[in-house]
Amino acid sequence: MNRRVIGVAALAAAALVLSGCGGASSSSSSNSPIVVGSINTRSGPATFPEASQAAAAVFDAFNQAGGLNGRKIDYKTFDDKGDPATASASARELVGSDNAVALAGSASLLECQVNQKYYEQQKILSIPGIGVDPGCFNSPNISPANLGPYNDMALTLFYGSEKLNLDKICVLLEIAGSTRPAYQGAIDTWSKATGKKPFYIDDTVQVGASDFTPYIVKAKNAGCKSVAINAIEPDAVAQVKAANAQGWNDVTWLYLTSVYSDNFAKAVSNAGSGIYVPAEFYPFTDASNQINKEWRDLMTKNNIPLTSFSQGGFLSAKYLIQALQGIKGDVTRESVTKALHELQPIQNPMVGTPYTFGTASTHANNTAAWPIKLASGTNAWQSSGSDWIKLPQ
Amino acid sequence: MLQGALAGLAAGGLYAALAVCLTLMSRLVRVVNFSQAATGMFGAFVAVWLVTAAGLPIWLGSVLGILLAGALSAAIGWIAATWLSEASTTARSAMTVGPLLLLISLSFILFGNKPQPFSPILGGPAFEFGGVVVSQVTVVMVLLAVVVAVAVQLILTKTAVGTQLRALSERPTTAELLGIPSKPLSIAVWAATGVISAIAIVIVAPSQSNDATSLAMLIVPASAAALLGGFTRPGLAVVGGLALGVLSGLVAQIEEVALIRNFLPFLFIVVLLLWTQRKEVWDSAR
Amino acid sequence: MGYVLSISLSGYFVFFAVSAVTAAIALLGLGIVTGSAGMIALCQLTFAAVGAWVVSLLNVMEAPGGFIVWLVAGGIAAGAAGILVGLPALRLRGVNLAVVTLGFAAAADVTLQQIQFPGSKDGIPVERPDAFSDDRQFFFFSVIVLVVCALGVFWLQRSRWGASWKSVAFSERGTAAVGQSVRTAKLTAFAVSAALGGVSGGLLAGQVQLPFPSSFTPIQSLALYVLAVMSGTQLIDMAVFGGIMWVLVPELLKRFGIPQDWGFVIFGALGVQALTSGTNLGEEIRNAWWKRRGRVAPRSGTTAPVEAAPASAGPGARGLDDRGGTHDGGSSPAAAPSPSSPLAAGTAGSGRPAHGLALAVDHLTVQFGALKALDDVNVEVPAGTVMGLIGPNGAGKSTFVDAISGFLPQATGTMSLGGTPLKGLSPTHRARLGLRRTFQQDRVPPSLTVGAYVRFVARRHVSDAELADVLGFFGCPSAGTRLSTADIGTRRLIEVAANVAAKPSVLVLDEPAAGLSHEEHVALGERLRTLPSTYGMSVVLIEHDLDLVRAVCSQLTVLDFGKVLASGPQDEVLANPAVIKAYMGETEML
Repeated sequence: MNRRVIGVAALAAAALVLSGCGGASSSSSSNSPIVVGSINTRSGPATFPEASQAAAAVFDAFNQAGGLNGRKIDYKTFDDKGDPATASASARELVGSDNAVALAGSASLLECQVNQKYYEQQKILSIPGIGVDPGCFNSPNISPANLGPYNDMALTLFYGSEKLNLDKICVLLEIAGSTRPAYQGAIDTWSKATGKKPFYIDDTVQVGASDFTPYIVKAKNAGCKSVAINAIEPDAVAQVKAANAQGWNDVTWLYLTSVYSDNFAKAVSNAGSGIYVPAEFYPFTDASNQINKEWRDLMTKNNIPLTSFSQGGFLSAKYLIQALQGIKGDVTRESVTKALHELQPIQNPMVGTPYTFGTASTHANNTAAWPIKLASGTNAWQSSGSDWIKLPQ
Repeated sequence: MLQGALAGLAAGGLYAALAVCLTLMSRLVRVVNFSQAATGMFGAFVAVWLVTAAGLPIWLGSVLGILLAGALSAAIGWIAATWLSEASTTARSAMTVGPLLLLISLSFILFGNKPQPFSPILGGPAFEFGGVVVSQVTVVMVLLAVVVAVAVQLILTKTAVGTQLRALSERPTTAELLGIPSKPLSIAVWAATGVISAIAIVIVAPSQSNDATSLAMLIVPASAAALLGGFTRPGLAVVGGLALGVLSGLVAQIEEVALIRNFLPFLFIVVLLLWTQRKEVWDSAR
Repeated sequence: MGYVLSISLSGYFVFFAVSAVTAAIALLGLGIVTGSAGMIALCQLTFAAVGAWVVSLLNVMEAPGGFIVWLVAGGIAAGAAGILVGLPALRLRGVNLAVVTLGFAAAADVTLQQIQFPGSKDGIPVERPDAFSDDRQFFFFSVIVLVVCALGVFWLQRSRWGASWKSVAFSERGTAAVGQSVRTAKLTAFAVSAALGGVSGGLLAGQVQLPFPSSFTPIQSLALYVLAVMSGTQLIDMAVFGGIMWVLVPELLKRFGIPQDWGFVIFGALGVQALTSGTNLGEEIRNAWWKRRGRVAPRSGTTAPVEAAPASAGPGARGLDDRGGTHDGGSSPAAAPSPSSPLAAGTAGSGRPAHGLALAVDHLTVQFGALKALDDVNVEVPAGTVMGLIGPNGAGKSTFVDAISGFLPQATGTMSLGGTPLKGLSPTHRARLGLRRTFQQDRVPPSLTVGAYVRFVARRHVSDAELADVLGFFGCPSAGTRLSTADIGTRRLIEVAANVAAKPSVLVLDEPAAGLSHEEHVALGERLRTLPSTYGMSVVLIEHDLDLVRAVCSQLTVLDFGKVLASGPQDEVLANPAVIKAYMGETEML
């Protein structure tokens, strides 16, 4: 019992110490490190750890090469647990206490949406490695390195209907968060570009449902020839398996970048008439190509998984460094924000459209993807074209 | 419609198998084990790890994973038998919330939250019946649930161990006086149900969402099914599980009531409770 | 204190402190259900989600009143949801409630994912109250809300509701037997808890301004439950402590670079430890505190009014409690003090029939399977008498008490209390009509004080003087004593005293003297004998000690094998040959 009382006292003391050390804030001098932050969902049922790991690797390499005229980048990453309160608190710690000049390489389920107002107030910009929630694409202060699930959805539909000449495309949506209108926008974009409509839309598909058979059966019985689904990886595996169990082998699957992983390819043997995905970055599974070489070498050296997420993190860090290098004078939040606003479009062969930030009220500039496919029995992704697919503007 | 209903049967079989385990536990060792599905999930994940990372053959990995689930369950049972042997059902059940939480989080840490690349032991359709496809998993799951329920009934009523177990649950003091080894027996019950639920989960997991949370939360439909048998009758628990599976398969087919699908286990529980508890009963103990 | 914190903490910690406060409020609610009322509720954060949802909805609708009104509305809505969810689980023991709540949490979580919080689609942030719009001010506001909630809970815990929660946690029968509906007790506990959950959720909505379903997952509800059990959050300070733990553990993990998932592993492991040992931090700290205080002032507040105590109670005749004797045993029979006026006077004017039958039981039969525990029993208790109910073990005495007090709905036959038929009435209803009973087993909730218990049982306003009176009359410890420190015999005495204070028309005492020494036993008998004249109630006394029965009871009923062997005035019954025959071989000679 006494032990416990001591434990309580220790905890209380720890709380005091923590609150004390949070109170001190460092002032920026010319030799102190430049603080760059990122907020990521790293624990809980759905996580995105690679983007910030990749960004950290880029900053480490940059620091080792001398940093920005001798000043190092101090890259601070936080886990928001997929919890809005933690995401807000992390943003406040980064911006308020740690005096971050910008954010880069974030990948979170909800961080953009939760913090975009705060970033606007604090006049700080963020380059998420992987923008997931709609907030990443509708704020003047956030411009992700990746395409995002909404443009990706429009592209997968576009590729299916125009390149694969599929008809009876059914759209199955797993709605997590407030993403329904954003997906509807994507479907409308596709309809406007092609004049085609989905055969039907089922937006009742449960995220992380224990059994997808009923939804698959419904689609099969309705006569769908192909299905476009926004599922995350575990759900997609379950959906393909449910179709296998139902003997539905002539279906074409149109998924999003979120299923593009070696893990997924290994888990799926029977892919029906093929699984097609518009990859947000140049396909990482193509090991021979030079386009991904720098990224691949850095990831391999740092033991970071080769995924689209680490591509996004890598790119966002590169973009930020390029903006920092253009700054004349002191590196402060104001100067970084200004530099990003005035940034010239950056060409990188890993993406199909140049990266810009600019002062627009929303950012969804990346509109190209590379088509890849997973055929039955191969257990490996292959490139399915020779150029980026783009939505006709 | 019929296809939809049958589509729910595989899940129903899983609910039923878990419900039988829950019933067994409630009857024999006075506990509603909230970590029932979680131990099975953990065993199944370890099996996957053994196959993919340690390179064991699938059958060996699965057997080891299943045994580990049994051992985990036995460990929880040992805790219950050692420190909570005199405690109420409520207190014992409350204790199992801890392992549920712990196992989910631990599996996030150990195995991540990416899909587990389960190599399917079974897959594909088993047969077609009037244009309706019945998958192999469905057939096996329903059989498993029925076999377990029948086996439990037979063991309890026809064997010496069964008699001892019943004596233990109905007249614990008398049973102790007769020299029935209460602690080893109850731990054995825990281990056995752990093994059964792990088998069920290993069979179904390849064809389902198999992340830690959704597998561990199978406890909800399973306890709804067990409630139909009042946590005492394995036969009714099987019926409850299958019915719940079929119902949710049906509901998913109808756009207008799709939202209810989430609430189906809950509504099932509520309706059953209102029915079974319509008369006031005074618990003799309190 | 809250204000000082709000201006001294850095921005980041202010934000975290708000999280701690919201968790503390939710834990405060959980403490009522799990700690006070002894039920398992696994959907506290779902109620929080209801609160947050209502607040966001009102925000989007731009409802009048602003955040504070919305917060209250959120709390009320969550309380209503709590009642709806709790209704099917009302008659149930804890486990079923756990199943219901877990099912509710799982279902609500998925639904919330689909329907989302109002305003989140368009990113409409929840408006904070004008005076508390920045983070620091909002923290101050949340502290105010916490203080209001804590005061409310403090007050409720001391009210009838609070006593009924503690009572129902210890014994449902004991609760019903004092006229408190078990259902109401559980439902109020659940509703108050859910309402606090709703307030906490509403506050969270104001904190993050765009609430997300991921704050309210079933896993987090499980963790919160475990935390509540672990820290014993029925105590208000412990709820605050739990709230701090809720944010501190993840924060420490972050500082040490440990993955956040370990947080719930730690909670899970500590929860198992707490649940198996049946203790919690809060109680241990309190016990340590009381022990220290106990050493300083061992006798404070225990001025036993019974001065005539060169008592017959020999040393060690009764197990002294752990404080080394907080009260004296009792008084000698002759010196049993008669209570001063208020209690007795009140009774005289209460219009109860002084004549006729207080209780009439006709053809009462109770069957358990093939066994007839009571077979066509007819008993009449005249008003203003003490009737003894005797018989060998297994004669059906306790079954008789259970049957007349309503715990055996399958009993057939008729019963009436002062002319009011009791058929079909619940135990609660019978107790309210004026039929009270005590139990052979200990059903006195140890978490209450003597005074709170007596007031709870009495179901009416009892003044301090009256309270001291009735406690003194039975030689009980003073009102401030905690019941957990009283030994079993004393608890039984307090149970009798409390039921006397309830002023029933019939009081059935099931072996009240078990656990008392012979002398105390006789003293009790003396007091019981005066009950009809001083308090105007009839007493049915079940007793083994025939000496006592002879001394106290004017009427006697003898039960044997479920049948009435004889019934009537004491001397007639004792002269009955059948009674003599039945009692041959008993230790007491007739």
